[in-house]
Amino acid sequence: MLVAVGMTPWCVAPALAALGGDAASVAADADALHGVIHSTPLQHYDIHEITSDNGMRLREFLDRNGLVFAIAWSGPAIPDLQRLLGTSYQTYTAAVAAAGHPGLKHSRRIATSDLVVESDGHMRAYSGRAYLPALIPAGTSAADLR
Amino acid sequence: MRITHLLVVLAPCLLCACIGGSNGTATNTVPPPPTVNSLAVIVDAGPAGVGTVNRPYVTVKVCAPGSTTCANIDHVLVDTGSWGLRLVRSVLTAGGVTLTPSTDTQGNTIEECAGFSGGQTWGPVAPADVTLAGEVASKVPVQVLDDTNAGAPPPATSICVSSGSVHNAVPELGANGILGVGVFAQDCGAACVNAAPALDVYYGCSAGAAGVCTAENVALTGQVTNPVAMFAADNNGVIVDLPTLQNPNGDATVQGQIIFGLATQTDNALPATGLTVLGADPATGDFNATYNGGTAVLPALIDSGSDDYAFADPNMATCTATPPNNPLWVGYYCPATAPQSVFAVNTGVGAENASNTVQFAIADPNSFVATAAAFINLGGGQGSTRFTWGMPFFYGHKVYIGIDQTVSGTHKGPFYAY
Repeated sequence: MLVAVGMTPWCVAPALAALGGDAASVAADADALHGVIHSTPLQHYDIHEITSDNGMRLREFLDRNGLVFAIAWSGPAIPDLQRLLGTSYQTYTAAVAAAGHPGLKHSRRIATSDLVVESDGHMRAYSGRAYLPALIPAGTSAADLR
Repeated sequence: MRITHLLVVLAPCLLCACIGGSNGTATNTVPPPPTVNSLAVIVDAGPAGVGTVNRPYVTVKVCAPGSTTCANIDHVLVDTGSWGLRLVRSVLTAGGVTLTPSTDTQGNTIEECAGFSGGQTWGPVAPADVTLAGEVASKVPVQVLDDTNAGAPPPATSICVSSGSVHNAVPELGANGILGVGVFAQDCGAACVNAAPALDVYYGCSAGAAGVCTAENVALTGQVTNPVAMFAADNNGVIVDLPTLQNPNGDATVQGQIIFGLATQTDNALPATGLTVLGADPATGDFNATYNGGTAVLPALIDSGSDDYAFADPNMATCTATPPNNPLWVGYYCPATAPQSVFAVNTGVGAENASNTVQFAIADPNSFVATAAAFINLGGGQGSTRFTWGMPFFYGHKVYIGIDQTVSGTHKGPFYAY
C-alpha cells in the first residue's frame, strides 16, 4: 500500500477531496469508507469504483491528467458530500441556498457552469452524481458518468 | 394549524347530556364510533398560509409514551415513499406534547439525518404513542424535526449540514409532519445495524444545542418505524383510497381515506381478480418501470408524498416563468402540445413479476385552476434516473402497500398493488 502510494507524484500532500482531486484522493476516500477499489480503464478516462461493506458504492472518474472530474454514488445513505465535492462544496451549498426549497420529495439538480450535482432516490436507496462540466474529456457524454 | 385537546372537546358534550334536552337538537348528535381501521385523508392547501398542491393529509394523535398528554396534529403528509413518522418540534410544543429523545448506551441522544430525494430532515429520535383511527402504536420511535434548533447540530460528515436542503419547518415541509407508511417497517433497516463504518444516518449526540454528534449504528427496534408495522393488528400494510377528480383542471379539496391492514377485515380485502400486484425489491423497496417504450429499466415506486409523475423525458419541455406562466410550475413539465399522452410499463421484482402498462397524460399546469389544490396530469422530474408514480396516479387508482416480511392473503411483502 505505502509503496503504491509512493509511486504517484501527487502523494506529497494527502488530498482529502475527491472531485477535483487526484488518484491519492481516491485512496483516501476508500480508506474513509473502509472500501475496496476496483479500477476500470476506459478509452478517455478511468473508473475507480469503491465498494464498502456498509453498502455504499462510490465511482470516481479520472481523466488522463489523473484528475477526478466526476463522482457517482449509490447506497443506503447519502454520502459525505463535503468530503466528496472538495473545493466544489462551497459552490454546491451556495447553489442549494439560492435554489430555495424545491420540495423534500423532488429530485434535486444543481447546475452551474462549473459544477453539476444531481441527487435522487429514497430511504434505503439513494443515488446521485457530481461532475465538473469543463473537465469532461472530449468524446465523453455526461450521460455515461453514472 | 388545529390542535385539539380531547378533554376540551369532550367536556361540553358531557355537559349537554346532563342538561338533557333543553335544546331538542343537541342531545343526539354524538356520531357513531369511527371505523377502527380507516382514517380520513384530505387533499387541500395544507397548513395555514402554506399553499400546497397534491398533498394528502391525515390527523395523527400523538402522546408522550404511557401518558394522557396528547395532541391531535392535523396536516401530516401521508407518504407511501418513506417509512416512519416525523413531526415538527414546534408543532408538538404548541400541542403541549414534549417527547423525550432516545439515548444510546453512552447516554448520548440519538439523532437522525433522514434523507429524501430532494432534501433532508434533522432531529432526535423519540418514542411516542401514536393513534391512527382506532389503531395504536405504542412507544414507536418517531423523529422530532428540530425546527427550533434545540438539539445538537448535524456533524460535518452529514448531508444535513447543507442547511439549504434541510426541511425541518412547516413552510418547507408543506406539512406539520410526515407519516411514512411505505413498504418497510424501519426507515434504514439492517444497513444501519452493523455497518462499518456507521452510515451517515443515525448519530449519537452529546446534549444541548452545542452537542457533538458521531455516526453510529442503531438496532432495528430503535430506528424510526412505520407506525402501521407496530399496530397490534392490521399491521401488514395500508390501502390509500382517493377518488378521481371532478375537474381536469383542479379540485379545491379531495376527500378519501387510508385503510390499515390488508386482507384482515371486511373493508381491506384484496380483490381476487383485476388487481395488479408488483413485487418490490426487499433491499430497496422498488419495482421496475420503463417509460414510453424506452429500454432503460428504472427503479420505480408509488409515492403519495410526491406531487407529480416524476421521470426524465428529454423531449418534453419544462415550464418556464415567462409570463403569463405561473412561476410556481418552473421545473415541472409543460408539454408543447398538452395534454401529452404517454405510458409506462411496471414490472414487479421477485416472485410477483407481473407487468402492467399504465397510460397517462401530462398537462400544462399553467392551465390549472390557480386556487385548486388537487391536480391530475401533473408531471416533472427532468433529469431523474427513477420513475415515481406520484399523487396523480392515486386519483385514478386504489393503491395497496404490502409491508416487507408480512403476508397479505397470498401475497408476500414488500409489494405494491393497484
